[in-house]
Amino acid sequence: MSVVTRRHEEIHETIEDKLPEAILDFEEHQNAPAVVANPSRVDDVVRVLKQNGYNHLSSISAVEYDNRYESVYHLRRITDDREDFDEINVVAPADPDEPAVETVSDVFKGANWHEREAYDLMGIRYDNHPDLRRILLPETWKGHPLREEYDVDQPQYTTLEAHANPIEERYEVEEEGTLDTMFLNIGPHHPATHGVLHLKTVLDGEVVVDVDPDIGYLHRCEEYLCERLDYKYQIMPYPDRWDYVSAGMLNEMSYARCIEDLAEIEVPEYAQVIRTLAQELSRMAAHMLAVGTFALDLYGELNVIFMYAFKDREILQEILEDLSGQRLMFNYFRLGGVAYDLPEPRDEWFEKIRGFLDDLPEKLDEYRALIEGNELLRKRAEGTGILEPEVAKEYGCTGPVLRGSGIGYDVREVDPYSYYDELDWDVVTYDGCDNLSRVLVRIGEVEQSARIVEQCLDILEDWDGDREIQSRVPRSITPPAETENYTAVEGAKGELGIHIVSDGTEKPHRFKIRSPCFSNLAVFSELVEGEYLADMIATLGSLDLVFGEVDR
Amino acid sequence: MVTFNDTIAELFGVDGFSPLVEFVVAIAGASVVVSVMLTIIGVSAVWLKRKWNARFGDRIAVNRVGPAGLMVMPADALKLFSKEVVVPEGVDRVPYLLAPMLAAASILAAFAFIPFGSGLQIADPETGLIFALAFASLSAIPIVMAGYSSKNKYSFLGFEREVAQAIAYEIPLVVSALAIVPLVAVFADTDAPLRMSNVVAAQQGPLFGIEGVPIPNWFIFAQPVAAVLLLVAIFAEFSRNPFDLPEAGSELVAGYLTEYGGVNFVLLFLAEFAAIYFGGALFTALFLGGGSGPLLPGFVWFLGKTFVFYLVVQWFRATVPRVRIDQLLDLGWKYLLELTFLNLLLTAGVLWVVL
Repeated sequence: MSVVTRRHEEIHETIEDKLPEAILDFEEHQNAPAVVANPSRVDDVVRVLKQNGYNHLSSISAVEYDNRYESVYHLRRITDDREDFDEINVVAPADPDEPAVETVSDVFKGANWHEREAYDLMGIRYDNHPDLRRILLPETWKGHPLREEYDVDQPQYTTLEAHANPIEERYEVEEEGTLDTMFLNIGPHHPATHGVLHLKTVLDGEVVVDVDPDIGYLHRCEEYLCERLDYKYQIMPYPDRWDYVSAGMLNEMSYARCIEDLAEIEVPEYAQVIRTLAQELSRMAAHMLAVGTFALDLYGELNVIFMYAFKDREILQEILEDLSGQRLMFNYFRLGGVAYDLPEPRDEWFEKIRGFLDDLPEKLDEYRALIEGNELLRKRAEGTGILEPEVAKEYGCTGPVLRGSGIGYDVREVDPYSYYDELDWDVVTYDGCDNLSRVLVRIGEVEQSARIVEQCLDILEDWDGDREIQSRVPRSITPPAETENYTAVEGAKGELGIHIVSDGTEKPHRFKIRSPCFSNLAVFSELVEGEYLADMIATLGSLDLVFGEVDR
Repeated sequence: MVTFNDTIAELFGVDGFSPLVEFVVAIAGASVVVSVMLTIIGVSAVWLKRKWNARFGDRIAVNRVGPAGLMVMPADALKLFSKEVVVPEGVDRVPYLLAPMLAAASILAAFAFIPFGSGLQIADPETGLIFALAFASLSAIPIVMAGYSSKNKYSFLGFEREVAQAIAYEIPLVVSALAIVPLVAVFADTDAPLRMSNVVAAQQGPLFGIEGVPIPNWFIFAQPVAAVLLLVAIFAEFSRNPFDLPEAGSELVAGYLTEYGGVNFVLLFLAEFAAIYFGGALFTALFLGGGSGPLLPGFVWFLGKTFVFYLVVQWFRATVPRVRIDQLLDLGWKYLLELTFLNLLLTAGVLWVVL
């Protein structure tokens, strides 16, 4: 019996001991066992699990069935020991007519936004939630779009008057003379919001008193779209559109991993190596962009860091274009492998990548010199936007944001997929917890990615076996009914998870995307309250948000 | 001292003019100087800035309109001039429309006191230095007018920052400039050391020679601390990077410029660029010996030095990030102010001991 299985048994016993009336049943999901909890006691169950080490709430996903709604919680255990990693799910079935579940936002603060999203899209009411408003859709929206009964053809008009005027309620001066604040709408169109984010900010002079991120301007209901497409070919182009700044390969992997686990599709080793190579090239390009735009937020001008980063990203973009035929929307992965073999002539392509890798150490030294060696930049980026490790865990932050707070959680390491297990690389962490650390983590990760790419190239160059790029996959993929799976990969921004619930057809019954940016943005107001306006913008840049992924 | 009018008179071969003609010639001279400055600032400076910044970032920048893209600014200006003047609803119309004109006028008027070399100087009063600094400080007022009247919160924040910044750096600017005045009195042996032509005249001779190569008596060598302090104060006073907080592209959209378009925008933009040039001209006159230099005529040297200053400003733009408002005020009040006064006292003290 493995460590993890033994632990699960212990957990079962503990929960049954402590909360006999809160537990309804135990289930087995593809990724982990699940505890079926009484919806009104689910917070107690999650609290006991948290006390037993499951300290990371990945996502909350709402699923509709004929006779019930389910609120599914995916919990993970993050420790320094990679052997210690494991997962557990909690399922809270809710009444079909009046779905209501107790909130877990007092256990995990990050649950706040996840529950708001579940409420918004599926209409599950979370009792005792501190702030149960819609999050992605406008507050005037009628109905919950992921429900079966929702009428897609019903047009929804929202007049300007119907919107709450954000100024009216927030401009109140609490006590005459004590607090003189100004309400400022930053965005949705603003140079520093990297897309369409609306920050409802209350300023006291130059200091941010309160900030409320308003998201959903780029919401395309990607989950709904994916639920209406078949597994085999139709879903794969969509992941490219979540994190659309060159992280497409990583997004595709998140979908591929989840469905390949669920439908038990084998991937040939050769394709695994190509996938790993493509993912790391993608990660490098995405991190280059993140570093560049962070500098852009600090400078407000077309500065050298931004331009150099873009120039280097361009080379990667060309390499990826050679591989997939596309610059951003790659659509390169297939279930059971990849779409094409490496571009011919192979040697030329390898040479191109090797040329880039040879120049890279020098370039990274230059970035470090430009960032770390610049006294003014250090003054701005050091000690601002402090994210304490405990707060980061509470909110479910992942990726470079979490690693910048000194916690070395990397899905590639703890829960390996593709070819990462066979390769030699390190998890980069900095424990400054500030804006500078987060940026330095990204630069360090580019270095590590380069190591991985180099090893993949060695393997591919010496490959003398069969170049099998796809395994035999049935014409239509139908995972067994009533099975579900949650898996995650390490995307450019963090843990990018997919939760698929199958109903035995060739389309998913529920397709939930766990976006790392969503959780990283949820912690934003904690980071910036009490900071200066200028630091708020810098912090926003250091979180590296892409709104295609936040809003989906 | 050769004045502008004398130069013109000499050119025509007459001994001085009657007061009326002198006035007309002065007006004509002023318009020549202003038009030349405008052409330089409007066309070459913006083009140069774009090309120069592009070099830092491995870019090519403008190269389509005209030879090497030189005509892009006239084309842009033409486009902006042909735009409708949009006055947003609810703005305070009078200051809103007056601000761009005042901004451009005040900074161009400040050029009157600058000795461009070759006797090219429009006005040379006994208190020229103080006049020049006073006109330069006036540039904060149109920004306040623009920001406050625009009825936009970003504009409002921009002008608030401008006020804080202008107050914090006004004193260091003046005091660091004053540190050279005792030197002028000594070197030029004059009792009008604030007169700009005297400031330049004091820097003509060699300070000392190293192996036969004469080091000119520019005050940057005689007063290096004051030069650095003035440089910082100029950067802050005219809101250049890293002190460009009133505009702060990534934070305040465009600061006090947010609500301006068309010809009003052109004027404010022009005032901003003219301010950099004025900063450069001031620095050249006070610390780089004005138009002094071998072979070439004085005004060529002067313009050349101003352009070098301008390029340094743009270099900062590409390489240093913006400071935060509290860091800016810290620097101004806690360090610059004390250092400038210390430097002034030290200069006076040293001269008192030596003489």
